[in-house]
Amino acid sequence: MLELRLVQGSLLKKVLEAIKDLVNDANFDCSSSGFSLQAMDSSHVALVALLLRSEGFEHYRCDRNMSMGMNLGNMSKMLKCAGNDDIITIKGDDAQDKIADFEMKLMDIDSEHLGIPEAEYQAIVTMPSSEFARICKDLSSIGDTVVISVTKEGVKFSTRGDIGTANIVLRQNTTVDKPEDATVIEMNEPVSLTFALRYMNSFTKATSLSNTVKISLSSELPVVVEYKIAEMGYVRFYLAPKIEEDEDENETKPKV
Amino acid sequence: MSSSRPSAFDALMSNARASAKKKTQPQPKSNSPKKRKTLDHPQNPDKTLNSVQSPQTDESKKLINTSDSSNEPKSEPNSRSDSLLKVNQSKKLRVEDKNAGLKSKIVLLKKKAGDFKPEMVANWEKGERVPFIFISLAFDLIANESGRIVITDIVCNVLRTVMDTTPEDLVVVVYLLANKVAPAHEGVELGIGEALIIKALAEACGRTEKEVKKQYKDLGDLGLVAKASRSSQSMMRKPDPLTITKVFNTFQQIAKESGKDSQDKKKNHIKALLVAATDCEPQYLIRLLQTKLRIGLAEQTLLAALGQAAVYTEEHSTPPPHIQSPLEEAAKIVKQVYSVLPVYDKIVPALLSDGVWNLPKTCSFTPGVPVGPMLAKPTKGVSEIVTKFQDMEFTCEYKYDGERAQIHYLENGSVEIYSRNAERNTGKFPDVVAVISRLKRPSASSFILDCELVAYDREKKKILPFQILSTRARKNVVMSDIKVNVCIYAFDMLYLNDQPLIQEELKVRREHLYSSFQEEPGCFQFATAITSNDLEEIQKFLDAAVDASCEGLIIKTMNKDATYEPSRRSHNWLKLKKDYMENIGDSLDLVPIGAFHGRGKRTGVYGAFLLACYNSNNEEFQSICKIGTGFSEQVLEERSDSLRSQVIPKPKSYYRFGDTIKPDVWFEPKEVWEVKAADLTISPVHRAAIGEVDPDKGISLRFPRLVRVREDKSPEQASSSEQVAEMYNAQKHNHPNNQDDNDDVDN
Repeated sequence: MLELRLVQGSLLKKVLEAIKDLVNDANFDCSSSGFSLQAMDSSHVALVALLLRSEGFEHYRCDRNMSMGMNLGNMSKMLKCAGNDDIITIKGDDAQDKIADFEMKLMDIDSEHLGIPEAEYQAIVTMPSSEFARICKDLSSIGDTVVISVTKEGVKFSTRGDIGTANIVLRQNTTVDKPEDATVIEMNEPVSLTFALRYMNSFTKATSLSNTVKISLSSELPVVVEYKIAEMGYVRFYLAPKIEEDEDENETKPKV
Repeated sequence: MSSSRPSAFDALMSNARASAKKKTQPQPKSNSPKKRKTLDHPQNPDKTLNSVQSPQTDESKKLINTSDSSNEPKSEPNSRSDSLLKVNQSKKLRVEDKNAGLKSKIVLLKKKAGDFKPEMVANWEKGERVPFIFISLAFDLIANESGRIVITDIVCNVLRTVMDTTPEDLVVVVYLLANKVAPAHEGVELGIGEALIIKALAEACGRTEKEVKKQYKDLGDLGLVAKASRSSQSMMRKPDPLTITKVFNTFQQIAKESGKDSQDKKKNHIKALLVAATDCEPQYLIRLLQTKLRIGLAEQTLLAALGQAAVYTEEHSTPPPHIQSPLEEAAKIVKQVYSVLPVYDKIVPALLSDGVWNLPKTCSFTPGVPVGPMLAKPTKGVSEIVTKFQDMEFTCEYKYDGERAQIHYLENGSVEIYSRNAERNTGKFPDVVAVISRLKRPSASSFILDCELVAYDREKKKILPFQILSTRARKNVVMSDIKVNVCIYAFDMLYLNDQPLIQEELKVRREHLYSSFQEEPGCFQFATAITSNDLEEIQKFLDAAVDASCEGLIIKTMNKDATYEPSRRSHNWLKLKKDYMENIGDSLDLVPIGAFHGRGKRTGVYGAFLLACYNSNNEEFQSICKIGTGFSEQVLEERSDSLRSQVIPKPKSYYRFGDTIKPDVWFEPKEVWEVKAADLTISPVHRAAIGEVDPDKGISLRFPRLVRVREDKSPEQASSSEQVAEMYNAQKHNHPNNQDDNDDVDN
C-alpha cells in the first residue's frame, strides 16, 4: 500500500515541468524515507536525480519499496488537471473509494541505477537561479557550449560562436539585502569545464522551484546543478563535460 | 544494482583522457568504500524488478564484474592514474577484448558451409541475446566480398551460428539482413529522413549539424560519417552493448511513432542507439535506418542461405530420399515459399519448428498476404510468339494500360487492394471495393483476384490513358469525391474458397474466374481474350487492342506450363506492344544518376542525363546511356527542378560507369523513367549488364527518348541488367547482321 499526500500540488507540477523534456520515461522509487527518481537522457550525457523526503508530505505511507515506471509526458498532462493549490494524492496498489481519481498506466522501464558518491568538489558556486537561467539563455544565442571557469576573481561563463564571443563574470557578492540574491563562491582550486548549453537550458526549467541554484564543479567530473525544493528535497542535474576540441582534432580526422 | 554497476563518476573517468593530470587531492585505494557511500537511495526498489526482468543480462554483468576484480592488481601499461580509472579501464578492456576476439574470428564465417561449425565464431552463451556487433561485423565482411557464392556461405554461417545459440533471435537476424522492419504489405516504414539522422548524429556526438553536414559532403555516406564521428561529449555512463533485439525493437518503435513530436521521439530513439554503438556498429546502424544497407546482399541470396542453413541445423527431418542435392533443393523451397508468403515472421518459426522439408506444408499462400504479381517477357512480333508457343494452346489478352492490382476478398467480407509492390492501396480505391463486393457471385466466399485497374469514361464508354488514372488522390479517397472512374479488368484468379489455385493451369483458373463474377461494362469486365493459332488473326487482334486504347497483348499458355508464378518474369507469359516492331521491343525503366548542365536554349536546366539500370545481385546501378531527347521544355524543367534536390557531391559507391563519363552533377537514385530506344549496342563506356554479354564491356542504348516518369516504381525496381542482356541477345538473334557497325557508336 502506498499513499502520499502533498499539500503543495504545484510543487510536483513544477518538478515535472523541469524534467519531462530531458527524460521521457523514468521510474519513481518510493521507500519509507522518501519519493525519488533517477534517470538519464537518451544520450547518457545528463542525469537527473530528484528527492522528495517523506517529511515534506502531509501524509506519507509506504509499506514496501515500490518502483513505478511512468511516462513523464503523460504524468505532466495529468498533473495539469490539478490546480496550483490543490492537494495531490499519489496512491499505489489497490485504491478503494476515492474522489477525483486519475489513473495512469504504469510501464516497465529497463532503467539503470547509478550509485552517486558524494564527492569533494573543487569549486561550488551558489547564485540566484534566475540569474543563472538568464546567462544560459543569453549565451545560447551566441554559441553551443559554455565554458564555466572558477578562479580567485569569480566565476566566468563564456562562449564563442560565428557571430562573436561572450563573457559574463560574476564576483562573490554577499552584501545584499536578501540572502537569496547572494553569489557565493567556495573554491579549493581553480577549475574550467566545457558543457553543451542545450542541456543547461533544459536544467533551468527548474528555476521556479528555488530562488537559488548550486553549481558544483571538479575537473573531469560531471557538473552538478542543484535546485532545492522547499525544505523537502532537491532536484539535481548532472551533466558530463565536453572533451576539449583541440585535443580530438588529430584523432577524428576522417580517413578518406 | 548500484554496487554491481560502475558509478557515473567511474564511468566518466573511463572516458577521460589518458593524459589526465594527476589530481592533487588524495586518492586512497578506496574504490569500494567510496562506492558504498552512495546516495542515500532507499534500497533500490528497482533492483528486484530488474533482476526478474532480465536474469541473463544480469548474470553476464556479474561475470564481467568478478573478473574485473581479479584483474585489478594487474598494472595497465598506460594508466598513470588512480585506482578508479584502473578498474574501469580493465572493464572497458574486457568489452574491447571480447569484441577483438569476435573480430579475429569473424573471418571464419567465410569458410565453406561444410567446414564451418556454428560454435566457431559465437562469443556469447547459448540463449544469450545475439550482440549487434556480430551482425555489424558480418555486414562488413559481406560488403567486402563480391562473389555471390562466398556471400551465401557467410550469410548461411551467420544464420547457423544464431540457430545454434539463440534460435529465438533468428527472425530478427533475418529481418536485419533483409533490411526490413515488417513485411511489405503492412506498410510499416521507419520514416526517417537524412535531416533527422544528421540532427541525431550531431546531438549524440555533441557536434554541430554544420560539422556533420560538411563531413557528409566529404564522405558521401552518413554511415561513414557516423563511423568517423568520435564524440566530443563524455557520457555519464556508457550504455550496455547493443543486442540485435534491442536494435530491432527500437526500429519498430521508431516506425510506430506518429503525430505530434514524433520526429523528436524518433530522434531520441536514434540517439539512444548511437551512443551505445561501438566499432563499426554506427555505420551499419545508420545504413539500416536509412534502409540503404548496400552491402551487395540480395534478398534471393538471403533466402537461399536460409534454406541451406536449415539443412545443416536440421533436427526434425532428413531430406526425402529422392532428393539429390538437398542444399539446392532447400534453397529452392525457401525461395518458393517466400514468393507466396513473403512474411518472415511466419516462415522462420515454421522453419525452426518443423524443418525445411515441411515448409511448403506449414507455410502456404493465404488471403490477406499479397504475393508478387507474375510478369511477362517482352517479344518483338507475332511470328516470334507463334514459334515460341509452337504446339501449345495459348491465349491472347488485351494488355490494359492502368495499375496492376491484387484484390483480396476475405471470408469476413473485407476487401484489400494491393499494388504491384505489395503496398496496401485499399484507401485509394473505395469504388473498387464496392464494385467487387457487389459483382462477386454468392458462391465465391473468399478469393484473390489479379487484375488491372484502368481509368474509364463511362459516358463515352472509353478507356482513358494511364496519365488520367495517376491524377487520382492516393490516400483516404471518399466515394463522393471521385472524379476519375475506374474499370476493373480481371484476368486471373489465384485463390478461391480456401483453395489456392496458383498450381492450377490457366484454363482452370480462368474457369473459376468466369464463374465467380458477373460482368458490368465500365465497372468490372474480364480482360478481352481470344484463343487462336493463326498469325493473321492475332495481328488483327493486336490492332483491335491498340484501337481500344490498350498497350498491346499479353500471350499466355493455357495448359502446359501454365501455373501462376508469383514475382517471376516468366516465359509462359509474353507481352507484345504496339510499337515493338519499330524498335527494340519493350521500353526500359531507368534511373537518372547524373546530369550535364544545359547550354544555349537549355541554360538553367539540365541538358542531358545519365541513366542507369539496376543490378540486384550486386545492388549497384550501372550506367546505360545519356538521354537528352523526348523532353518537352516543361518536362525538362520539371525533371531538373525535382532532381536538383537530389544532387550529391560525388557518385555513390554503388554506381558503375566508365571513366570517361563525367557528368556535372550526380544524383541520389530516386526517380525511375520509362525510356524507349532504337537499338541496344555493346559499349566500351557504359557498364550495363557488364560481364553478361561481354566480359568487360557493357550495353548501351542508341537514340533513347523519354516516355514518362514511372512514379509507381522505386529505383530498385528499374529494369535489371539481366533484362538488358536478354533484350540485347534477343535483338542480336533477330538482326544478326547490323550489329558490328554499332559497336563504337555510342559514348
